[in-house]
Amino acid sequence: MGEPFVTARGLRKVFHSRGRDVTALDDVSFTLARGETLGLVGPSGSGKSTLARVLMRLIEPDAGAISIDGEDWLALRGRALRQRRGAIQMVFQEPLAAFNPRATIGGALDDPLRIHGIADRADRAERPRRIAELLERVGLPAGFAQRAVHEVSGGQRQRVAIARALATRPALIVLDEAVSALDVSVRGTILELLADVQKSDGIAYVFVSHDLAVVRVIAHRVAIMDAGRIVETGPTPGVIADPQSAMGRALVAAVPRLDFGRDDGA
Amino acid sequence: MTTTLATLRGLSVSYRREGAQTFALRDVDLDIATGGRLAIIGESGSGKSTLALALAGLLPPEASLAGTIDWPGLDHVPVAGRDIGMVFQDPGSSLNPVLTIGEQVSEGAVRHLRLGRATARQRALDLLARVRIPQPQAALAAYPHQFSGGQRQRIAIACAIAASPRLLIADEATSALDMIVQAEITELLDTLVREDGMSLVFITHDIALAAKLADRIAVFRDATLVEVGPARQVLARPSQDYTRSLIATHIDFSAPRLIDERA
Repeated sequence: MGEPFVTARGLRKVFHSRGRDVTALDDVSFTLARGETLGLVGPSGSGKSTLARVLMRLIEPDAGAISIDGEDWLALRGRALRQRRGAIQMVFQEPLAAFNPRATIGGALDDPLRIHGIADRADRAERPRRIAELLERVGLPAGFAQRAVHEVSGGQRQRVAIARALATRPALIVLDEAVSALDVSVRGTILELLADVQKSDGIAYVFVSHDLAVVRVIAHRVAIMDAGRIVETGPTPGVIADPQSAMGRALVAAVPRLDFGRDDGA
Repeated sequence: MTTTLATLRGLSVSYRREGAQTFALRDVDLDIATGGRLAIIGESGSGKSTLALALAGLLPPEASLAGTIDWPGLDHVPVAGRDIGMVFQDPGSSLNPVLTIGEQVSEGAVRHLRLGRATARQRALDLLARVRIPQPQAALAAYPHQFSGGQRQRIAIACAIAASPRLLIADEATSALDMIVQAEITELLDTLVREDGMSLVFITHDIALAAKLADRIAVFRDATLVEVGPARQVLARPSQDYTRSLIATHIDFSAPRLIDERA
């Protein structure tokens, strides 16, 4: 295996709030391979969402470097940045807030195809076919394209958000609390969809969550964040079995256990 | 001997929408034991929050109610705020942003216990200390935005118990909080209910949280009560497929991983 797909080194971000400096990221470094999932776990305010936004280049860091596929990701500007953006997509916690409420599902999926020129401009007939494919990929009927985003259930909407992220054939998807707002029975099916898409398409995920149990299900490796720093990192089962940091231990202890009534298959 | 605080019989709540009657709760029979801890579990649209509002008498005027809620454990019809304290999911919207913490926490005591200003202030101070707000004296003069989400939920709990209610209803009170704060708030509720001998109705979508806090569990789905029983029995020997599926889909450290280990 060669160079990691994503390498972040020494990321730093300080926010100025009410006359105080808040260090949201403090010397954060990590790597991510193609087709791998890195879980980012920490309590509110630990910097995990800031890190996700820095990766997306929605926020510029004060210091540090990010290389993606060997390229200096933070140096990209203008046209070059816009062209590469399709390779990195994001899925948010609240799918209702992540869409134009007046959009149809087909319209929401058509936007990335049009903006990133995925389906050729000359061949407009190609786009509806691509949209149908994307819907099928996330387990929704093609007829959903005509429906409004607000008409479907929360779980279906999150499937549409995943389809939208897949539209540009990304190499990396940043998932920020992507299953936290979903019903328990839906949560598992969305995690299965994500794992399935990763296996077939080799997409890397950064999976941001405050729930270490959910991260254990989906992430190969985990980075535990506390006050802007990564305080512990390693293969997820190992970190959970024997956390070395105080925050790692607190996060493991905070997961309520359903310790009777189920055969333990682990 | 256990006594019954509240008895629900044939309780239905419905709304008229576009000419059609839709049920938010349908024909529910349920008892709440005095001093008991009842968890109400369900997913979106199960009717669990409607049940909380019906108990507290806080249903919107357009809701139509059928069936009965009796309070054999009280000698009067309960008043929300005095006999029933409520804690909601989002303390950001349940606290008033322009009132000080002291004003908000003492309000219940002033209104329902007819305490004077100085006594009510002292009570607010005691309550803030009980819910473990650091520097409670300084907190009295502070505003909600000056606190973290977890601390705001502690303050909302202080408000809810200010008039010493007999019943505390927590409606997804920990769902918006991170796991560590969630564990702290759950523990705080546990302590307060035990110390004050309050009854607790704990509404959640998280069956493991229910297992941790409740002695009885009632499972709701699509506006109906699916099953109810002692917590251990419902979890270990659920009688309904739906309860079994809720337990099976719960994700904790024993859930199967969906990925292959990498070299």
